[in-house]
Amino acid sequence: MTVPARCVVRQIAISVSTLILAASLHASQQAAAPAPAQDATLSVAGDVAHPLTITTADLKGMPRTTVTITDQGREVKYSGVLVGEVLARAGAALGRDLSGPAVSTYVLASAKDGYQAVFSLAELDPAFTSNEIIIADSVDGQPLFEYQGPFRLVAPHDKRGARSVRMLQRLEVVRLKK
Amino acid sequence: MRRVLLGVWLVWAATFVGSAQPGFEWNLPRGFPSPRVPADNPMTSAKVDLGRHLFYDTRLSANQQQSCASCHDQTRAFTDGRERAVGSTGEVHPRNSMSLVNVAYAGALTWGNPTLRRLEDQALVPMFGDHPIELGLSRPGTQLLERLETDGRYRSMFAAAFPETPKPFSIDNVTKALASFERSIISARSPYDRYHTSRDNDAISPAARRGEVLFFSQPFSCFRCHNGFMMAGATDFDGRQATAEGGIEFHNTGLYNLPGLLSYPAPNTGIYETTKRPEDVGRFKAPTLRNIAVTGPYMHDGSIATLDGVLDHYAAGGRTIGDGPYRGVGHDNPNKSPSVRGFALTAEQRADFLAFLSSLTDNELLRDPRFSNPWIAH
Repeated sequence: MTVPARCVVRQIAISVSTLILAASLHASQQAAAPAPAQDATLSVAGDVAHPLTITTADLKGMPRTTVTITDQGREVKYSGVLVGEVLARAGAALGRDLSGPAVSTYVLASAKDGYQAVFSLAELDPAFTSNEIIIADSVDGQPLFEYQGPFRLVAPHDKRGARSVRMLQRLEVVRLKK
Repeated sequence: MRRVLLGVWLVWAATFVGSAQPGFEWNLPRGFPSPRVPADNPMTSAKVDLGRHLFYDTRLSANQQQSCASCHDQTRAFTDGRERAVGSTGEVHPRNSMSLVNVAYAGALTWGNPTLRRLEDQALVPMFGDHPIELGLSRPGTQLLERLETDGRYRSMFAAAFPETPKPFSIDNVTKALASFERSIISARSPYDRYHTSRDNDAISPAARRGEVLFFSQPFSCFRCHNGFMMAGATDFDGRQATAEGGIEFHNTGLYNLPGLLSYPAPNTGIYETTKRPEDVGRFKAPTLRNIAVTGPYMHDGSIATLDGVLDHYAAGGRTIGDGPYRGVGHDNPNKSPSVRGFALTAEQRADFLAFLSSLTDNELLRDPRFSNPWIAH
């Protein structure tokens, strides 16, 4: 896929209750078969104009966002790309197009092992909310561990980590009312 | 006037500094938050040192046959290698000795008592409990205090540990010192720690790395009960205390399934013993998996000898006992945790799991002189 030249790094310091993340970025999710999978891809499909398949290199070339969460008493920085940025490249209905019946559209995030979590499209749209939910590919400046990556959703405002899907493999946009 | 004020300040400062106790350096590794320490028992080196001496002192048992270390052996990550602990009079404890490693972070301290939350309070149980008898002391502990006070080393150590107290020899101070020593036992130097904190990919084997992925995978879901940096149930640290509503969990893993209300053999009925709620029968704490390879036998009653056996238990979704008084199909225990569903396990996956669990052993801790017996020359 084509990657634009612009590169914006945003830093967001977010304080999330520790309770959360103890169970959180581990306990919430379920991974699958042991495989490094650094060459794995992330597909963006469903009700989008341009279905995509994204590699780790693709993600590195997109505008970057870093979010800081508190995990068991210590700050952890996850870096990656806003989900909204990726969805925009796939031609999902965002911004002004996200109104009326389209507001009921959701995104199904699936992991390699079949674990799934749901987000409304609106909460992933930077024009709609400031949730800063990212597709992370690094933690504290290092690649994700094998049980986490190579792609991981990080929803820093969630009080529990159940939607911070590890080993993310697919984002499917589902429009309920067309 | 300024000189007078300065002089007063200097006198006050000298007095304060003179009575101040040296603090305690945790030297925590990256990823380990500051432990939660009770406000009335701040950590000091003097208290930790005193606690270490008390921990290893057989004078803490009525018949002077046992110390805390009798059931909490450093070389076994502060467990005892027995199925169930044996007290100073030979009475067998209902449960397996728990590891004291990283106990400073433990949200719940014992296998099945959700109300014991402070190490200072917990120490009273082995000291004075009579059901079962452990150290066998009788209240109010006068006998113990007299023994300790006759030892000149203790007179110095108690005075150093509790300088603000005119009469430092008290049971309260004994438990505070023991708790301080126990909190100091931090395990963070396993190969797994080097892999995670130093990003040293060679610190653990490829098999161990595969085992980690399995550990966090849906079919096995080990992480659901053994989570966080402790790989345990509820974890406390500075600024956070787990509660029954947020963090503290006890689990029935289907180890037994006896007919009737008490599906687990008494007196090991889990937190039911405290809560008396039928649904709590068989619910026990998920212990830390750090150093798990050296803390067998396993489970609350030591009834599984090896980690291989533990994997069999969870793979079956509960243990089946074919004969004897405990005959039953644990898989069908009505209180069983939904996380214990059972799974298929290949020989390679089994080996990977075991490699991963072995990578959690902190060999430096097992021989660290800071935690060893101070009464014998090394």
